[in-house]
Amino acid sequence: MDKLIDDEMLVAQFKSGSQKAFDELMKRYERKIFGYLLRSVRNYEDAEELTLEVFFKAYRALNTWKPKAKFSTWLYTIASNLSIDYHRSKSRQPVYMYEDEEAIEKRLVANDISSNPEKNLEDKERGRLIREAVDELSSKQKAVFMLSRYEGLQIKEVAKTLGMAEGTVKIHLHRAIKKLQTLLRPLWENNEL
Amino acid sequence: MAKCYRSEAHVIDYVYGELDPNMLPDFESHLTTCNKCTRKVFEYKRVLHLVDEAEGEFIPQPIAPHNLKTKLYKRLSEGPPEKPSLYSLLLKNINNVTNNVLSVLKEQKIVSFSTFAVAVIAIAIFIGNPFKPTPTYDVNQVVTSVDERIEKYRQQDIQRSLEDVLRNKHLRYSDGWDTVSQLNRVKDQAKGTDWANIANKQLKRVQLTSDL
Repeated sequence: MDKLIDDEMLVAQFKSGSQKAFDELMKRYERKIFGYLLRSVRNYEDAEELTLEVFFKAYRALNTWKPKAKFSTWLYTIASNLSIDYHRSKSRQPVYMYEDEEAIEKRLVANDISSNPEKNLEDKERGRLIREAVDELSSKQKAVFMLSRYEGLQIKEVAKTLGMAEGTVKIHLHRAIKKLQTLLRPLWENNEL
Repeated sequence: MAKCYRSEAHVIDYVYGELDPNMLPDFESHLTTCNKCTRKVFEYKRVLHLVDEAEGEFIPQPIAPHNLKTKLYKRLSEGPPEKPSLYSLLLKNINNVTNNVLSVLKEQKIVSFSTFAVAVIAIAIFIGNPFKPTPTYDVNQVVTSVDERIEKYRQQDIQRSLEDVLRNKHLRYSDGWDTVSQLNRVKDQAKGTDWANIANKQLKRVQLTSDL
């Protein structure tokens, strides 16, 4: 299918019965949505399930969807709502599970055995500590931070996606960076960074 | 260090590249003279750089979920999961208990046909007929059109969303601000249906309460 066709055109084609149009939309956004959710939930299987849920909801609602914002913004809205619900339900559970991270890294990162293994281990540990700090952010702070930093959304697009005022997005962003600064400061003060 | 009255928001806007272009030259010239702001800019950039590195290690390149398309169409063809009725759950539990009791008795070789018959009669008297065939769908009530099914699921989805919001509010998982934003979402989602009016009423009620 022609890549130049914009999303809204594909939505219109889907509404008039073209299944291929939805397949194309899914192809365009599955990696982005999956990446966003994987960063958000830090668990490969859960991110896969949530991605499926995003496209399931989108498929069911697309016939009645009216384009007030971009299609991608709408998809991220569904994804971030699901992610917030996910964190909310997880926060009711007593134990936070980190053991999946190793499995994800095994799956995602090719092992570089030629370089210094000790340094590799240190780097991995440092990366893990930083990601743990990111996971310490509240679900809204994290959503704002991730959308603006890794999904390339501008503040106003993040505001639309999360149904917040631009000012509120900025406040969350400011608090997120301040919190990260506080959490990561001991690391560079101990020369670990 | 001299006190600086610049807003912290300016520093973060600047680091994020979101500072108003009209304010940019002024702020950049301020940075040449203010150590405090320069240091903040440096520290924030360092934080973002570190997080970028760590996140880059986590997902080095965009990856697609496994078999998403197949899974999606499989799930769509299944429709929404049906909730089992209370009666069927109760019956299932009773049958399980009966089976367990019978298997224990069988092991001890003290079971007799009469015991089993008494158990079945007791269940039939107190609960109802366990061998009653499960009710079948009324063919006339089955929604045949895909559009109707999608609309039906949409309405169910809206109802679930609204119930979730109200439950979260009731259990105090959500504060007033959360509830208002969630209700606004449901209202948008329910536009053109009766659920929109219900969501609106709830919204007004929450706003009224939080104003008070």
